[in-house]
Amino acid sequence: MELKEKLRILADSAKYDASCSSSGSKRSNDGGIGNAAFSGICHSFSSDGRCISLLKILMTNACIYDCKYCINRKSNNIKRAIFSPEEISSITINFYRRNYIEGLFLSSGIIKSPNYTMEKIIETVKLLRHKYKFNGYIHAKAIPGASEYLIKELGLLVDRLSANIEFTSNDSLKLLAPNKETKKAEDIMNYIKLSKSRKFVPAGQSTQMIIGATKETDYDIISKSENMYNNYKLKRVFYSAYISVNKDNLLPTLEVPPLRREHRLYQADWLLRFYNYKVNDLLDKNNPNFNILLDPKADWALRHLEEFPKEINKASYYDLLKVPGIGVKSAKRIILSRKHFKLDYNDLKKMGIVLKRAKYFITCNNKYFISENYFNKNFIKTNLILEDKETINNNISQLSLFNE
Amino acid sequence: MNNIYIYNNNFISLLNLINILIINNTKPDNIKQIDYNPTLFDNLIKLNIDNNENIINIIIKNTSKNILKTMYYLYLSRDDNKELIIYYFYKNSLKYKDNIYSMRNLKCVSEALKISQYVSRENHKFKGFTRFKELKNNILYAEINPTNNIIYILAIHFKKRLSNEYFIIKDITRNIFSIYDKKDIYIVNGDNFRLYEESHKSDFIEDLWKEFYKTIGIESRKNNRCRMNFMPKKYWKYIVEMSDEI
Ligand code: SF4
Repeated sequence: MELKEKLRILADSAKYDASCSSSGSKRSNDGGIGNAAFSGICHSFSSDGRCISLLKILMTNACIYDCKYCINRKSNNIKRAIFSPEEISSITINFYRRNYIEGLFLSSGIIKSPNYTMEKIIETVKLLRHKYKFNGYIHAKAIPGASEYLIKELGLLVDRLSANIEFTSNDSLKLLAPNKETKKAEDIMNYIKLSKSRKFVPAGQSTQMIIGATKETDYDIISKSENMYNNYKLKRVFYSAYISVNKDNLLPTLEVPPLRREHRLYQADWLLRFYNYKVNDLLDKNNPNFNILLDPKADWALRHLEEFPKEINKASYYDLLKVPGIGVKSAKRIILSRKHFKLDYNDLKKMGIVLKRAKYFITCNNKYFISENYFNKNFIKTNLILEDKETINNNISQLSLFNE
Repeated sequence: MNNIYIYNNNFISLLNLINILIINNTKPDNIKQIDYNPTLFDNLIKLNIDNNENIINIIIKNTSKNILKTMYYLYLSRDDNKELIIYYFYKNSLKYKDNIYSMRNLKCVSEALKISQYVSRENHKFKGFTRFKELKNNILYAEINPTNNIIYILAIHFKKRLSNEYFIIKDITRNIFSIYDKKDIYIVNGDNFRLYEESHKSDFIEDLWKEFYKTIGIESRKNNRCRMNFMPKKYWKYIVEMSDEI
């Protein structure tokens, strides 16, 4: 088979993995080729608006497993291909030299056994690191079920390792992926967390969940994320809107992937990691799904309107962060600037703070932006929903690419 | 009449001039490069400024490294009034030192930081968007069309990762090249430098990349507006996987 066709097949079967981040590593170039940029670099953007940072491919799509949701499952009648370690290395280096990519994201269908697959991945990464002296970014999949000594060896070579949890419960996973067990993925996460060496997986680990293939609620999903962030010190959880690639009576047939829902989950995930929110602030058993019309922070603010408006010149850092439209950067700017000046609306504008959404939830020197009679739930809600509609179409995949 | 002070088309000269103006308590109406075309109301003033690089140390001593860096990024910007913005930014920095970064409510500060961040962001974008092709003698060659004059700071980035390669980056708009010879970076004007080398006609690696690019997008998630937001069309011409789509 021609190399070009192989690349097409093996990129095509890898493209459903959401992760393409190249951040979090400071690997430097010692006489070879490449280094890693801590903040990550996007080299291109695909037709779906997602960042292309890494050469994202499978080593092979000839998998011995039969996960129901996966295009590469054994029972599908599709073209199969396999890359040799040398082929992968040479494409990576050639793409890297021309500045097409930051590095490699290598995953694979299961060949023979988890251990055999891992050995092949290790062989490839070794070739890149040792023969080609490649110091760019490498993200590899740890294959659940592989032996610990292999995870250890791979972890010392790559920047990031990930094992996909796929679904929040073992039952869902067993149903759709009979050969998989949640515990096996979590064992890997735990092993990575416990490692003390700084050279081991320097950019940390991530995982991914599939959204909308099973009955799990947003509450189930985001609780699982919170739990994994706490237990395994994950850098990122990625959410991947389920795309119907196979027909199966255990799976829903979706015309379009649930992108809105995915977007809301990314927003909520962001609130957990940087804004000090807990899952229970956002959702609970009686209210288990995010509002599709409003982002989780605005939704929260509207349900807690008694806490607002916040006075810009007085509110604490975490209170400022609760204001829809004010992010980490803006909150920091406000805190720093108000040491020197009393801030009014004009100052905020000059400071580059976007008031479009924030204005409903703040006062400046005790002044609301219009008559205070308008400070009520219905007025604010209507306006926010209108504005959210505008931005969401532009930025739907933006949150998934925010740097860590 | 507007008093326009003139400097010698380089950063060191500009810093020296600004330093003199501030020491003498002179308030310029504007500061311009030597090739500036004056209007009827302009009074051009050329002070006797030296090109002493020690000015770098003076600036750092009076303010900070960070502030010098911001001034340098401002200098690289395309903004018509950048010299005056640098002057006021420096003047305020003498007073506020690094606190200046939290004084965005002063107009000259917010303007300065906005512009320097624009330069920095554009540089970051080109760390991704620059596309090299291979010339026949293994030299890597890229053409870019940035809005700001980032070719030098961009070359510093590539020097680190491609330290064992020869590379040349051309800024198409300004007709300048940055050249790396596996040791140092040189900035050369296009009037004094011509590239005779040709690249290979059919490029297998480039074809592979285009194939990868086409494949990796998910049809059912197609979102052209979002792509355009992140990768503005004005850059497409020199991004090899996009150039066919224009
Ligand atoms: S293990 Fe399952 S999800 Fe992974 S490639 Fe094989 S069939 Fe697909």
